[in-house]
Amino acid sequence: MAKWQQNIRAWIGRYFDLPSDVMLDLPRITTIGSIHVYIENHTGLLHFSDNEIRIQYKKGQVRILGSGLGIKMMLKEELLLEGELKSVEFLPDGQ
Amino acid sequence: MGNQHDFYQGTMNIRLKGSLIEPFLHACTRQGCQLSRVRRIGDDEVVLTIRLRDWPIMRKLRKKYRCKIEIIDGKGVPFLVKRMVKKTSLLLSFIAAVIFIFVLANTLWSIEVKGLSPELEASVEKKLKSYGVYPGKLTIGMDDPIEIQSKLLDDIPDLLWVGVKKQGTSYHLYGVEKTRQDLDENDRPSYLVATKKGMVIRSFIKKGRPLVSVYDIVKKGQPLATGELVEEGDVFVHTEGEVIAETWYKAEQQLPLKHILDLTSGEANYSYGLKIGSFKLPLWGWWKSDEGKVREEEVVTDWNVRDWTLPIQWQKKTAFQIDRVSFNQSKKELQEIGAKTARRSLLQQLGEDAAIKDEKVLHLGEEHGKVKLILLFKVHENIAETKYISQGD
Repeated sequence: MAKWQQNIRAWIGRYFDLPSDVMLDLPRITTIGSIHVYIENHTGLLHFSDNEIRIQYKKGQVRILGSGLGIKMMLKEELLLEGELKSVEFLPDGQ
Repeated sequence: MGNQHDFYQGTMNIRLKGSLIEPFLHACTRQGCQLSRVRRIGDDEVVLTIRLRDWPIMRKLRKKYRCKIEIIDGKGVPFLVKRMVKKTSLLLSFIAAVIFIFVLANTLWSIEVKGLSPELEASVEKKLKSYGVYPGKLTIGMDDPIEIQSKLLDDIPDLLWVGVKKQGTSYHLYGVEKTRQDLDENDRPSYLVATKKGMVIRSFIKKGRPLVSVYDIVKKGQPLATGELVEEGDVFVHTEGEVIAETWYKAEQQLPLKHILDLTSGEANYSYGLKIGSFKLPLWGWWKSDEGKVREEEVVTDWNVRDWTLPIQWQKKTAFQIDRVSFNQSKKELQEIGAKTARRSLLQQLGEDAAIKDEKVLHLGEEHGKVKLILLFKVHENIAETKYISQGD
């Protein structure tokens, strides 16, 4: 059922040329160089420390590694991180 | 973020402690909180900035997530106000000081009048007082210097011009007095007449035709010079000049041979007291008895607080010891004294221009313990007086 719904959504998105983050409930991650990360559409903050920040999204987690990380601003579905970025990793569920 | 809006709303820096920090923060944002500047400072410790209005939400949620919240500090208007209110006395004294300085700065402290005669100065000050401009008055609601200037010029006709300048807490007035010049009078046709009987010694007629010459004896009212230039003509001019004549005065004086004088010996007793209405309260020196004859002098000093006179007055009484001395003077001495006083009073009567040329003792007699002295003075003085001719009426 869920799989079918997902397929429909993907198809509508493609057909109407809609941005995929809106259609598929995926996070939109914008980085400004390696100093800022702007994450929209997340569903939760899982872990937060100077070196690692993990964020939950619909289908998994995003891991951001770096040093001196901090949250500049946190709203309901938005997150603005600052610090020295090293990597952004996606850890989908079920892996 | 530290924008203007947050400053007015107020923000707080807090420290979170607990093992469930991330879920707690997430729950807070879910409720609409806006968190910023989140930094981890320990394993289970985080500092962050929240908006003041999100504070109730956090308080509500902290129990569920077993977090300890510690407020570090607050920023923004609400905290400033709170701090101000806490220091009420400081605030009040600050306001009082501001008001005090404002009142002092707006009080007129001195009025300085320059360039005027003392009488005119006094009248200017009196007028200023009637406009409500006097030291100790608030300048708020006072007239403009320009207005005061025009009012003064209207009210005091003797003022030619007055400049009113406000300098800080004082008024500087600079006035120019009108010099009265009766120009028209000088040009009117006139002649000179004698005010007294006398013998002309010297005459100096600046304008007009002289009628008398040196050594002429003139009577009172006799014309000395005329403005009629030609004897048959109608030309009348103004006459001006001086006619110095020798005049004679007789002075009579009676002087007592024996003179009694009260002299203070220089010793005095002082006593001090307070005076309240008609009641007198002696304070010091009242026990000293006055021996012999004394002359008492009393000085009462008012005490003023601004314009208000206190009902209590300070009284200083001085009792001078008096020695009565009688003088006996000889006839010769009395004659000198008499001549001197007669001369002085004559000069006072005649004015500065007159000069006593000669004096003669006509009579010196003694009767009933008094000396009778009759003196004759020869004086040189100006006897010319301008008389105006009324024309064509």
